[in-house]
Amino acid sequence: MSKVKANLHYIWKVLRQPLIATAIGLMAGVVFILFTGKDPIQVYGIMFEKSFFKPYYLTQTLTRATPIIICGIATAIAWRAGYINIGVEGQMISGAFAATIFAIHNPIQGLLGLILSMIVGMTVGALYASIVSVLNMKFQASIVICTLMLNYVASYIASYMSAYPFRDPAGDGLSLMTRQIPDSVHFPILWKDTTFNLGIVIAVLVVVGFLFVSNRMIFGYESKMTGLNPNFAKYGGVLQNKVMLKTMALSGAVAALAGMCEIFGYKYRYLDGMFTSASYAWTGLMAALIANLHPIGILFSAIFLSGLQVGGQAIQRTSSIPIQMSTVIQSSITLFVSVKLGFQFFKKTGIFKPKEVKPEGGGEE
Amino acid sequence: MNTNLLAAIINSTIRSTTPVLLAALGSAICSQVGVFNIALEGQILFGSFVAIIANHYTANVYIAVLAGVLAGALVAAFVSVLQVKYKAADMVIGTSLNLLVSGLTSILLFTLLGVKGSYSSPDLVMLPKINLPIIKDVPFLGRMLENLTFIDYAAYLIAVLIFIYLYKTISGFHVQSVGQNIKAANSLGIKSLRIQMWTVIASGALCGLGGAVLSMGQVILFTENMSAGRGFIAMASASVGMNHPLFVMISSLFFGFCQAIGVAMQNTIPSQLTLATPYIGTVIALAIFGRRSASK
Repeated sequence: MSKVKANLHYIWKVLRQPLIATAIGLMAGVVFILFTGKDPIQVYGIMFEKSFFKPYYLTQTLTRATPIIICGIATAIAWRAGYINIGVEGQMISGAFAATIFAIHNPIQGLLGLILSMIVGMTVGALYASIVSVLNMKFQASIVICTLMLNYVASYIASYMSAYPFRDPAGDGLSLMTRQIPDSVHFPILWKDTTFNLGIVIAVLVVVGFLFVSNRMIFGYESKMTGLNPNFAKYGGVLQNKVMLKTMALSGAVAALAGMCEIFGYKYRYLDGMFTSASYAWTGLMAALIANLHPIGILFSAIFLSGLQVGGQAIQRTSSIPIQMSTVIQSSITLFVSVKLGFQFFKKTGIFKPKEVKPEGGGEE
Repeated sequence: MNTNLLAAIINSTIRSTTPVLLAALGSAICSQVGVFNIALEGQILFGSFVAIIANHYTANVYIAVLAGVLAGALVAAFVSVLQVKYKAADMVIGTSLNLLVSGLTSILLFTLLGVKGSYSSPDLVMLPKINLPIIKDVPFLGRMLENLTFIDYAAYLIAVLIFIYLYKTISGFHVQSVGQNIKAANSLGIKSLRIQMWTVIASGALCGLGGAVLSMGQVILFTENMSAGRGFIAMASASVGMNHPLFVMISSLFFGFCQAIGVAMQNTIPSQLTLATPYIGTVIALAIFGRRSASK
C-alpha cells in the first residue's frame, strides 16, 4: 500500500512542474486571445475539438506529432550528454533531402529501396552533425552557435537544390520542389483515407530505442554520465571525444529520420522550406524541455504540442487568429518549465549549473 | 577591381555590420559578467518590431528608436530575472524567449496592424541619412560613407565607450571582476547580482538599438523573423573577438563583410547560395579563432 503511495507521490513529483507550466502557458494564451478580441473559451474549445476529440483531426495530430517526437528524441540524445545541439533542423533537412534524392534516382524499388534510402539519409544527417563535433574537437568551436548556423546553411542549400538541379520539371513556376519519390517506397498508410502512416510506429520505436540505449547499453551510460558530470566520466575512463562524436552522430541520424518520416510517409517529395515553416525541430526541442528530456514524456508532450498546432490551424481558418498563437502558448510553457528546472533537476544534476557555482574556497582572500 | 564596386561593398559592409556589432557588444558585456545570454535573437527581433510599431503610431523616428531600445531591454529583463536572479537554465530560457518573441511579434503584427507576414508603408519614417559635408565630395571616401544613419556611427562610438568604461574606470574593473571570480567580487562588497542583472538589461538595450536599425535603416519594414540568426552571429562575433569591445568591432566587421559579399554576388550566383554566405563565414571564423576564445 505504502509502495503504491510512494509511486504515486513520485509520479506527482515528476509531473507537477510540467503540468503547472502547461496551465500557466494556456493562461498566457488566454491573455493573448483576449487581446485579439476573441472569446478564449470558444477558441480553446475549437482548438481542442479540432485536434484531439474528432478522429480525423486526431490522426492529423498524430501524423504531425511523428517528426516532432523524433526531433524531441534527437534533441534529448545530445542534450542529455551535455552537447547543446540546436541544429536538429539542419540535420533533418540535409538527411531527408539526401534520402529523397536517393529514392528518386535509385533503381532498386520496394522495401529494399526504402531501407537503402533511409540508410543514406541517416548517414548524411549523422555526417552533418559530425561537422560540428569535429569543429569542436579540433578548434573548440561552440556547439550551440555552429549547430544553429548550419541550420541556415542546410536550409539555403536544400532550397537551391530544389530550385535548380533537382527541381520537378512538371511543377509550376512558383513551387520549388523535387520530383515525387516512387510509390513503392512510400510508408504504408495505417488507416485508409487519412494521413496516418507507419511513421508514428517508427516514432514510438525511436522512443523505446532511446530508453533501451540510455538504460541498458554502455554507450548510453557513458553519454549520460558525460552530461551529468564530465569530470566524473573522464575519471571513470570515458573518452570524451569519442562520446561526443557518437552522441552527435546519433542525434543527427535520428533527426534525419524525423525528416524522412515526413517525406516518405506524408508529403512524398521535398518542398522548399517544408521543415522550417512547420518548425518541427523547434517544437521537438520544446517537447524535450517540457518533458525534462525524458523519452516517454517527450512522446506525450510532442503529441500535446502537435495538437496545439493542428488546433491552431483550425483557429486560423475559423477565427483568423494567426497560427503563431500556438508558438506563443508553447514557448510560454517551456519558459515556466525551465524556471523550476533551474531549481530542481538541473541544479541537482549540474548539466546547466548556475555560473557562480565553483568549488568551495575558490577565492584567494 | 573596380574602385566604385569596392567602395559600394565597403558601404554595404558598414551597414550590415551595425546590427551585428550592437548585439555582439551586448553579448560581450554579458560574457564579461559571466552570464551566457542566448536570447539576443529575441531581443533584436522585438526591438525591430516595436520600433516599427512606434514609428507607425507616432511617425517620429527618434521615438521609434527609443521604443526599440526599451523593447530589447524588456526581453532582456526576463532573462535578467528568470535566468540570473532565479538561476533557470540559460539554454532553456534563451530558446523559449526567442521562440516566444517570434510568435508574439506575428500575433501582435496581426492584431495591431491587421497584416500577416510583413508590414511596410509609405507613411513610415526612415532613419535620416547622413552625408558628411566635405567627405561626401571626396570620390572614394564619399561613396564609402554614403547614406549611413547616425546609429551606424553611434555603434562604433558605443564600442569605444564600453571599452573605456570596462578597461579604464574602477567601476568597470568591478564589473569585470564579477565575471572573473564572483566570490572574490562579493567579498569586496561588489553587488554582483545587481551588476549581472543590469548588464543583461543593457545588452537588451543594445540589441534593441540593433533591431531598430535593422527595420528602419537600410529598409523600412518588419518581416517575421527578420533578425534571421543575427543574435547567434553576434554571439559568434563576441566569442571571436574574445569579448573585448574593440576586437568585437573588428570581428563584427568581418560578419558584415560576409553579408555584403553575399549581396554583391547576388547577380551572378543564385540568391539561395549567397544568402548562406554569412552563416558559413561564421562557422569558418569560429573554427579559425575558436581556440583562442575557448571560454565557453
